Amino acid sequence: MNVPFRYVDRDTIVHRLHPLVKILYILLTLFIILTPLKEVKYVFVPLVWLVMSMILWALARIEVSRFQTLFKLLMGTFLFLILIQGFTYRWGDTVILQLFDFKYGETNVGTLKLEGVIFGAMLCLRILTATISLPLLVMTTSSSDLMTAFRQLRMPKVATFMIVSALSFTTLIFEMWEYITSAQKLRAFDIDRMNPIVKLRRAYVPIVTPLILLLFRKANDFQIALETRGFGTPGNPTIMEERVFTARDWFMVALILAVFLGAQVLRVYIGRTL
Amino acid sequence: MESLAIQLENVTFTYADGVEALSNINFSARPGEFIVVLGANGAGKSTLCFLLSGIVPHIYGGKRTGTLLAMGKDPWDHALFETAQYSGVLLQDPEVQLFNPSVFAELAFGPANLKVEREEIIRRIESSLSLLHLEGMEKRNPRDLSGGQKQRVALGAALTMHPRLLVLDEPTSQLDPIGRSEVVEAIHRLKSTGEITIVMTTHETDDILDLADRVLVLDKGKVILWGTPAEVFSQPAVLEAAGVKIPDALNIFLQIDRLGGNSAPLTNEQMSQMDVSYVARHARNLIRTGRLEVIGTRETPPEAVKEPGRPILEAVDLTYLYPGYPPVRALEDINLSIRAGEIVGIVGQNGAGKSTLVKSFVGLLRPTRGEVRFDGKNIRGIPVGQMARSVGLVLQNPDYQLFTASSKEEILFGLKNLGIEGKQAEERVHSALALVGLENELETFPFRMSFGDRRKLAVAATIALDPQVLILDEPTTAQDHRGRYQLADIGRRIRDESGRTILMITHDMDLIAHYAERLIVMWNGKIILDAPTEEAFAQDEILARTYLRPPAAAQVAKSLGELGVPENIVTPMALFRSLRKKSE
Repeated sequence: MNVPFRYVDRDTIVHRLHPLVKILYILLTLFIILTPLKEVKYVFVPLVWLVMSMILWALARIEVSRFQTLFKLLMGTFLFLILIQGFTYRWGDTVILQLFDFKYGETNVGTLKLEGVIFGAMLCLRILTATISLPLLVMTTSSSDLMTAFRQLRMPKVATFMIVSALSFTTLIFEMWEYITSAQKLRAFDIDRMNPIVKLRRAYVPIVTPLILLLFRKANDFQIALETRGFGTPGNPTIMEERVFTARDWFMVALILAVFLGAQVLRVYIGRTL
Repeated sequence: MESLAIQLENVTFTYADGVEALSNINFSARPGEFIVVLGANGAGKSTLCFLLSGIVPHIYGGKRTGTLLAMGKDPWDHALFETAQYSGVLLQDPEVQLFNPSVFAELAFGPANLKVEREEIIRRIESSLSLLHLEGMEKRNPRDLSGGQKQRVALGAALTMHPRLLVLDEPTSQLDPIGRSEVVEAIHRLKSTGEITIVMTTHETDDILDLADRVLVLDKGKVILWGTPAEVFSQPAVLEAAGVKIPDALNIFLQIDRLGGNSAPLTNEQMSQMDVSYVARHARNLIRTGRLEVIGTRETPPEAVKEPGRPILEAVDLTYLYPGYPPVRALEDINLSIRAGEIVGIVGQNGAGKSTLVKSFVGLLRPTRGEVRFDGKNIRGIPVGQMARSVGLVLQNPDYQLFTASSKEEILFGLKNLGIEGKQAEERVHSALALVGLENELETFPFRMSFGDRRKLAVAATIALDPQVLILDEPTTAQDHRGRYQLADIGRRIRDESGRTILMITHDMDLIAHYAERLIVMWNGKIILDAPTEEAFAQDEILARTYLRPPAAAQVAKSLGELGVPENIVTPMALFRSLRKKSE
């Protein structure tokens, strides 16, 4: 099964990059997606980053099919966000569709407004940028490399292991989601054929309940596996592998920073001129 | 005290929820000894492992009385990372024990935590890889390995910590035959070093006859037998009552011996040689010396449906590729016809394509090429939910589907999805639960049931949908000797009572011998053998190619063929029926 967020073992230029380069990339991604996009003219900032992420994915030779389930989940979320913003946006006055009149505060929640739809779409773009960019670190960096990098950043051992464990649990959740969905389909519970409203109303209890129960059990097993192998021994463990920065890593740092700073300069320029 | 590796005196353990798992346990082991612990599910085997390795009380709480020392220390008084310095543990499921990205990292994890020097860790990794025959796999991701390789990596991860005590909790119970033999061979090599005291729990008694120095048998938390393998296995009635399987070869040996009028106790020397060829030699000797004679009664074939039914499930040029770079070919040009009312066994190693085939039968996977037909109609385009009315697949792990507060609601869930409600639904709930023997558990919370009962509930939930074909995926997984045929029994009853078709995916050749009329053997996505069970068991070469062996009774019968024993025998009962004590 192709699971998103699980490390994909390949020998590509992206895989060979020092994990700290990819951590820098993640931090800049977070900056970009957390910076509010007040107007549509700033849309190119996340777009530029999105394009760069897609180029990196292509270089990492990771199949898009791994994100199929994730994209399916996102599509529903995007539709929901755009509609909610469209109907509840306070500052818009360009009506696309009038369903009914109902004032809630200063907003007529019965009308779909263009400004709200655009605001929702921009929000979705930021989520999409995050979804496409952030997994690059974990899917192209082995957990031992990640742990080494975090150690170099002087992160406490327990925090490091919590992050790595959380990542391994994320892949486990996707795997189990697939298994449970299949098991329930075999009981004539055809989630794929339900419309989004029915899905929300009744589809998730038969899937989420066994998922949570199984995760509790797996967490227990995981704790046993860790502690019986000496995890928790006071002091730092023996370092088995050291990673050094190469010229290629420095080049990538320069490239990422150039794209990031270029986008920021352009943002300021457009803000002043348009 | 330190001269003993393990010492338990009057140990009683009660879990925090009040369940007494072990009661007044007394036994000890010398350094380097190999102790095998046997018992049915719930006998207390895993609890004993948890106590010895310190998992109890540090992960699972409870109350203990009595004295317990492992390598001279009480694990109760030390943190797990301290116990880990002298005691290693290997659990049933290799998946949960492997979390590093490479075999090397997995093996280094433990000693690195214990701050062993880097060079020494590398030396230990090299020696473990060599002992476990994992050389060259250092860079592989453990998740991409086979079941047997994963379990050997998990064993290696314990060994690099240089334990003096190794606790193995059913290490082969979730493996296919190849994986099982790989792990058993690795344990043999480990034992031959003589450096580690090993405690191993198992249901697979066939594997331990030449491994165990001493055997401990638990029943409901109490020790009922303790001694050498010869001493313990000389008491088959006690073992049978405790739900412990007598090894197949030994079972045949004891019965033939009794038939021949021999009542001498088993010796340790006999036990160390006990395998199919030894039993065959012994039987031949009894026949040649005139103590036994061959009657020559042929195997009565399992009661088959009177007339072959119509083709109900068909695969036509079925090919399936899992997506990836490159795509993985799981099924290749499968042509197969299953007839209504048949009981069919499907065997093959993990990755042979068995699960992909049955998932294609229920529509969970859509063929890359070719088609699947149910009752003559192509199922392409029919949703899985609708196929569930016709073909029921019971997966190995019931916990992927159970989610309601009672058994009744669990069964009603599927019926509701089919639009069946009211009195009809109630009737189906009652009859399905009665069929699997859970009629008194109508309101029981499924997660309070044993694993075996949860599996039966999952079967009941599928049967209630009234499918024409019922597919059981590994009906013996994680079941003890007593419970291992319960699901197959249910399947046969459904076939006998209502003419339904039963497919069983299994690695258990005894199960096939007892229940299946037809055997399909898969290898690398292809069907390499499809024949009536007795005929299929005669195809030694084809079975050997897939690392499968006919049941012990079939092997013994075949090697006695020259003396007139019918070669179509596949069950011990039929073998015994073909022999009798020679009258004076």
